[in-house]
Amino acid sequence: MGQKIELACIIDDDKIYVNLVRKIIEIKKLSENLLIFKNGLEALDYFKVILSNLTEDKLPEIIFLDLNMPVMDGWEFLGEFVKIKNNFDKKISLYVVSSSIDPRDLERAKSFNLVTDYLIKPIELKKFEKIFDRNVA
Amino acid sequence: MLNHLQLNSILEDFDIAYWKINLLTKEITWSEHFEFLVWKHKSEETLFDYFLNNILHRDYRYDFMLGFENLTLASQNFNQEIKLKLNNDKYRWFECRNLKSKESSGKESSVLLFVNIHQSKRDQYTIEENFFYYRETAEMTSTGGWHIDTLAKAIYWDDVTKKILDCPRDFHLDYNERLRFYSLDHQETALSMFDKCEKYGIPFKVELKMVTLYGREFWVRATGKPVYNEEQSIIGIRGVFQDIDENKNNEHNLQNSLDIIAAQNSRLFNFAHVVSHNLRSHSSNLSLVVQLLNETKIEKDKLELIDNIADISENLDVAISRLNNMVTHHDLMKKERQMVIFSDSLDLAINSVSSLINREGAKIISDFKAMKEIEYIPEYLGSILLNLITNAICYKQPGRKPIIFIQTYLINDQPFMEISDNGMGIDLNQYGDKMFGMYKTFHSNPDAKGIGLFITKNQVETMGGSISVTSTVNIGTTFKIKF
Repeated sequence: MGQKIELACIIDDDKIYVNLVRKIIEIKKLSENLLIFKNGLEALDYFKVILSNLTEDKLPEIIFLDLNMPVMDGWEFLGEFVKIKNNFDKKISLYVVSSSIDPRDLERAKSFNLVTDYLIKPIELKKFEKIFDRNVA
Repeated sequence: MLNHLQLNSILEDFDIAYWKINLLTKEITWSEHFEFLVWKHKSEETLFDYFLNNILHRDYRYDFMLGFENLTLASQNFNQEIKLKLNNDKYRWFECRNLKSKESSGKESSVLLFVNIHQSKRDQYTIEENFFYYRETAEMTSTGGWHIDTLAKAIYWDDVTKKILDCPRDFHLDYNERLRFYSLDHQETALSMFDKCEKYGIPFKVELKMVTLYGREFWVRATGKPVYNEEQSIIGIRGVFQDIDENKNNEHNLQNSLDIIAAQNSRLFNFAHVVSHNLRSHSSNLSLVVQLLNETKIEKDKLELIDNIADISENLDVAISRLNNMVTHHDLMKKERQMVIFSDSLDLAINSVSSLINREGAKIISDFKAMKEIEYIPEYLGSILLNLITNAICYKQPGRKPIIFIQTYLINDQPFMEISDNGMGIDLNQYGDKMFGMYKTFHSNPDAKGIGLFITKNQVETMGGSISVTSTVNIGTTFKIKF
């Protein structure tokens, strides 16, 4: 692996899970930097600021989005993010990550064009590596 | 006078056959038409025996013989309806009677006419049969017929209509009184539909509430059509009333059952969601830790990961005890209602969260004057108060000491309780539908668990009540419970 992801982003309210993913990324050296938001609204606010400042280097190449979160859940975030995503030139891969095994959630996630894939927790380490590999520019 | 031939041809045209009976010799002669109608006699029997044995339906044999004897021996008039087997082997109805002659005595012969009455007999049967079906159907479906003579301003009801309106059979409806049989809020509808039918010939089929003679309200499906005279102008309205009260009630009950089932179903889904989401999220974290432990070589990292296991195990414990809580709450349903005094219940709730109340300096004011007690499950009322008080304190407006006002009151004998606070409020347009869902927290508030309102709603609904909420951001929230 010559290159790696510059900036990855996790939107999830489960602190333990976030810590573990951070650990995986550290140990496996999957990404230079990591953005962490504990709900959809915090993440959306961040992207809106980038949009107004046009500082695209602060855009993550990869987003892991949880569905069940307080304040603004994953679905609401997707609904809002769709509206602004096309203003960014950079390619952003968005993965919905949830412990929900409800097929309706899967269907609904797949109905969003900007969702690259729907991942069910727990994600295997190897799967993480593959996802980061695939998304190296 | 007509001659014999002409007479025969006329009789034939009218499908009338006859016998000529010689009263002295008892000899019988069949008319040509009679011979044509039945099989020509070829046996050794006399015409009379042949007729009795082969042509006349056996049900009428006895009466016919008796009548025939009376006619021939005592000159009594003969008049019977009989069935004859014709040359196509089918039985047909005939009216059989003697031709009355003017001179009463000294007659040498008598004429017996056979008039085909099959068609009219059949029509009569059909009418009787239809009438029977109509009566049965009307009785069975509680459907009554009526007719309005719009010219004479008169109304006619059949027996079933009178029956479903609790009116005696000899009841006569005065035209000007007609509206009293419609419920107050449906009189306008009734008036307009009859009016439109009378003026413009527009038929109607509506469901409306009627009132019986004794003032009982019930649902009816009313159908009506205009009646035209030969000049095509409307002279009346004809139609039926069908008593559909039972159907309406069933429909209503069915809808209630459906609502209950839907509510329970949604609770079950919510429960399954909690089980799946909460337990799975911990188990998946655990699996991540294990994977990382296998990967990492550094001792310090390993120790950190083991710390994570402690956290996960604690979270798992909390999740499971919450699930247990919910199950115990469901068990409470088996308990019985008893009189609960609101102030007692409130004191208990305040005691159990006194540390939270003291820490936040919350003030709780209550007014139970209008309704001091209620028949309820004490544990439920306690839990409802506890959850709503905790909720109010958790979502206080920063910098403002929480004030909670609790009040009970009655509206038309229906008990209500309101719990209002001066907290941060909530944008109901955004969160309204999720408010009472499980594990939904609306604010990034570390104390918020989001299960309290779900349980509260559950308890209120289990007891047959409902809970609603009004709120203004930065001003406060009011929960209203209808018991």
